[in-house]
Amino acid sequence: MKSYPFSLSRRQMLKAGAGLGASGLLYTSALHANTIDTQASIVVVGGGASGMAMANRLATRLRGGTITLIEPRDTHHYQPGWTLVASGVWHPEKTMRPNSDFVPQGINWVRQYAAGIDAENRRVDLANGESLEYDYLVVATGLQLNYNLIDGMSPDLVGQHGIGSVYASVEGAARTRQAIKGWLDSGEGKGIFTAAPTAVKCAGAPLKMTFTTLTHLEESGHRDAFDVDFMSPTGGLFSQPWVNDFVKQRFDEQGVNRRHHYRLSAIDPQAKQAEFTFEGEKDSLAVPDDLRAGDDNDQGKPTIIADYDFIHVVPPMSAPDFVKQSDLIAKDGPHQGEWLDVDIHTLQHKRYPEVFGIGDVIGAPINKTAASVKAQAPIVEANLLSAIQGKSLTARHDGYTSCPMITGIGKAMLVEFGYDDNFAFMPSFPFIDPKEESWAVWVMKDYMLQPAYYAVLEGQA
Amino acid sequence: MSISSILTVLLYALEPFAWLIVAGAVILLAVHLLAYMRGYQITQYRCLLATGAAALIGLSAFFWVPWLTNSQFTYISTVFDWVAAIGSIIGAFVVAFLLLHPLSYLIRGQDA
Repeated sequence: MKSYPFSLSRRQMLKAGAGLGASGLLYTSALHANTIDTQASIVVVGGGASGMAMANRLATRLRGGTITLIEPRDTHHYQPGWTLVASGVWHPEKTMRPNSDFVPQGINWVRQYAAGIDAENRRVDLANGESLEYDYLVVATGLQLNYNLIDGMSPDLVGQHGIGSVYASVEGAARTRQAIKGWLDSGEGKGIFTAAPTAVKCAGAPLKMTFTTLTHLEESGHRDAFDVDFMSPTGGLFSQPWVNDFVKQRFDEQGVNRRHHYRLSAIDPQAKQAEFTFEGEKDSLAVPDDLRAGDDNDQGKPTIIADYDFIHVVPPMSAPDFVKQSDLIAKDGPHQGEWLDVDIHTLQHKRYPEVFGIGDVIGAPINKTAASVKAQAPIVEANLLSAIQGKSLTARHDGYTSCPMITGIGKAMLVEFGYDDNFAFMPSFPFIDPKEESWAVWVMKDYMLQPAYYAVLEGQA
Repeated sequence: MSISSILTVLLYALEPFAWLIVAGAVILLAVHLLAYMRGYQITQYRCLLATGAAALIGLSAFFWVPWLTNSQFTYISTVFDWVAAIGSIIGAFVVAFLLLHPLSYLIRGQDA
């Protein structure tokens, strides 16, 4: 486990070896940052980006309390790198590090899956039958991929029968690359890229996969031999309005057939057929020539059948089942039954003030990115510490999120925006225009964002 | 962002290239040490060939730096892109000059 100020891990040996004695001094000064005495028992559920960042931040700020991190996995996955794996730019190994590199010393690391949360009795149940009581709870579980809501689909199918899905896992991303390559090698055919009818993590990923595949198709020299469709269950492609319009226009320019209000509802891997349910006004449906009308479904909605040679599947997503089954889930509003019920500004639970949420699991209009975690972690830290001290919560999250929108292999746009003014841009750097495609932004995505992410995990950024 | 945060990010960013940085530094130091031991002084010795070759290597960075970053020259488009690209040219020139200049002295400079 990581120790302060130094341990003999490979990473920290490197730090020492880098000759930056100043960093040691800075660590020391960080240790003397405002710490708070407490006897509180704090449980962090989940050791992904948000949970690990919170564990490190709380370990630095609290003295005397008990911090427990519930995280069963030994390996930490840098998920923002999976689109680069699926695009053939990165090797899968580049996205993996031991969790022990990041878990701070002095906390309890419980290597179990959480199985339930009893909010009334302030208790987290574990998969092994044990349970943990808490005074304060940080819900950082991430989200759940609901492939089962697409009939015939399973994450095990990724990489077979022309099916790809960058979200499935790092292995799934690597198999997606193989599926794309198999389609390219065939020299022709139809590729279908889908989007989900729910909020998803890294909402730009389905678009990035389309753009990077277009790069491969164009470089193949016979782009015209391939048909590319993008099926969206809504009228839009991205939450930020300017980017939404930009991507629509770029898809049109690059010969992508945009089909709106098409929700992927079933897949037949053997036949390489996908069934889409039309979610728009029934009267507005005009089935294109290259698709076939299916039967109406149980709700009376029309279905459309599409043959494919490659399909990129984006599953519906939600909070994990054990969170959905707890009293912490949203009881009404747009996130009802699907996401954690928090105030989107203070990140405190709306009904259980001792509970805070962070990361993909929270019910918010945007914000399921690692960049959001960077912005949320200091807010949860400040407000949790205020709650422990009986003070009012003053830190507020502005909804900051960021998407390095890859528009082709080798170029990207740094899209940063927040809740306010219809998701207005919030650029971090005055010299980077979020509306411009840039080589330097691509280099940032390729080389700098992963280091910044690890700094977030360490509670350093 | 604090200095501590920036250092943490930089350390993670440089980690994959640590072996390259160390190897490059060792080679540079060795060449300089050897040349200085044989009377080389960077401000006294002139070699147009070494300077010209370093300049060519620097200019060539326009083409191989984008390739090295899984990109291509035509994607250098914004002002920030050009500043970064020019910075990489200057960096490549400086490194090439620091290597080739004493090397040229070792090969032919003592007699020049």
